[in-house]
Amino acid sequence: MGLLSIIRKIKKKEKEMRILMVGLDNSGKTTIVLKINGEDTSVISPTLGFNIKTIAYQKYTLNIWDVGGQKTIRSYWRNYFEQTDGLVWVVDSSDLRRLDDCKMELDNLLKEERLSGASLLILANKQDIKGALAPEEIAKNSGQQAATALLLRCDCASMTLLFAAAMTATVYSTLHANSVAVMGSAATLHHYSALLTT
Amino acid sequence: MDDEMEKETILDNKEAEAEAALQKKHLSMLDRLSKRQQSRSTTSTEPSTDSTSSFLSRFSQLKSSIESHLSDSQSLSSDPSQLKPHFDKISESISDLEKLVAQSSYFLPSYDVRSSLKTVSDLKRSLDCLSSELIPKKKFSFKNKAKASKKDQGSVLPESKPVRDSVQPSYVARDSPGFRNKTGEVLVGEFKESEIGEFTISDLDSCEVRIIGCIRALFIHRLKNCRVYVGPVTGSILIEEAEGCVFAIASHQIRIHGARRSDFYLRVRSRPIVEDCNGVRFAPYCLSYRGIEEDLRGADLDAETGNWANVDDFRWLRAVQSPNWSILPENERVGIVDISNSESMKEEI
Repeated sequence: MGLLSIIRKIKKKEKEMRILMVGLDNSGKTTIVLKINGEDTSVISPTLGFNIKTIAYQKYTLNIWDVGGQKTIRSYWRNYFEQTDGLVWVVDSSDLRRLDDCKMELDNLLKEERLSGASLLILANKQDIKGALAPEEIAKNSGQQAATALLLRCDCASMTLLFAAAMTATVYSTLHANSVAVMGSAATLHHYSALLTT
Repeated sequence: MDDEMEKETILDNKEAEAEAALQKKHLSMLDRLSKRQQSRSTTSTEPSTDSTSSFLSRFSQLKSSIESHLSDSQSLSSDPSQLKPHFDKISESISDLEKLVAQSSYFLPSYDVRSSLKTVSDLKRSLDCLSSELIPKKKFSFKNKAKASKKDQGSVLPESKPVRDSVQPSYVARDSPGFRNKTGEVLVGEFKESEIGEFTISDLDSCEVRIIGCIRALFIHRLKNCRVYVGPVTGSILIEEAEGCVFAIASHQIRIHGARRSDFYLRVRSRPIVEDCNGVRFAPYCLSYRGIEEDLRGADLDAETGNWANVDDFRWLRAVQSPNWSILPENERVGIVDISNSESMKEEI
């Protein structure tokens, strides 16, 4: 307990955060990271291994670890858990058939001791596809009490802001294991930023 | 000063707590370590597969059993209905053998890996030879397929394994567009004007699927002996569990899981991937219909990237070619498949 609070204080000074992006294959993790970073997303191969991107947001440096989601390499996710500040769980909202798989993998992840203390963001991706489940439904399926339903479209310009705001929220709010935000499209941004400042 | 004092008292309180927590942590660590030790020792007492000689003896045993099955085929040739399941069984044991090689490849000397892979490919070749000799090949054609597959069902059914006792998803899928639970049909979808979102093709047996126009995302699940011809998909395609199928698909991303004995004609912007696949072969996209050029251009898929041959196998992360997939030899490829006349087909159905 004492050690943890000291580490947290040091972290606060450093303002450097380690963010882990995970989720089933085909959920769009790499696309999101590249999109946030303003890179070309027209040719993205399924991730064999992982990518790291460092993004500066205001006074924070976000180190984003984008780890491949194919079944074969899911067992390696745990190699990246250590010292994770934020966990982004990406869901393909249009993949109805694998929602159960998705929930199961997330549940397994949340049992992980090394991830307690990290904030969780569930990102309901692919909202622009007709027939996709709404963020609220994704939250319900994930079995997580969503703090708020936030929206985010992959092609939305304010994505960087939203994403970073959600991840750095840990610094503002007292850190709860599994504080959850579900993102979808930009409509309720105001609601969320209001939440951040309280 | 006050601040300092306060801090110290807090620290005092916490020290006791921390002590207790530390103790607990230490205990649990010891526990973990002893467990690990145990699991290690149990695995090492098991008949270790980590030895070259045991691998070689097992390999040769399997090999000779496959060879004897192969030589049995000639005597079975009088009964063609038995021949197909027989060959399927052999093909399965060959792929098991291949799997064994793959699993052992990390400790085998490279010579043994090469020679065993060669044995496997020799076995495959002789199986192919035998089956093409004993089972006359059907000519590729659309119209015959639908009828033929109906006729074939008698012989197809006995080999069909009971559907994997999969747990039914608790989430009841809403009425999303798709083709599901059909046998021996030609299924035609045209999405010329309105772009469609996600589309599902699942649980089909001996069907032919033709989709004209663009869709955003395509999910394919549990197909058997099907032909699937699809126009450009602007997002990604996910294929799970296909057996004995032919696919002509174009997309930005293509993922193939659990496919067996299937051919894929691809146009893809990124590298396609396979996982838990066996006997899958790849060739360039071969689909045509009136207006496909426009659709391909609209989906940014008009240029051939050559990526159809750059397949990544997640079960084979090595420099040598994966045994699970290959390039479809040019003389075995179907020509350009034209599905323009789907309208007339629809009326027939």
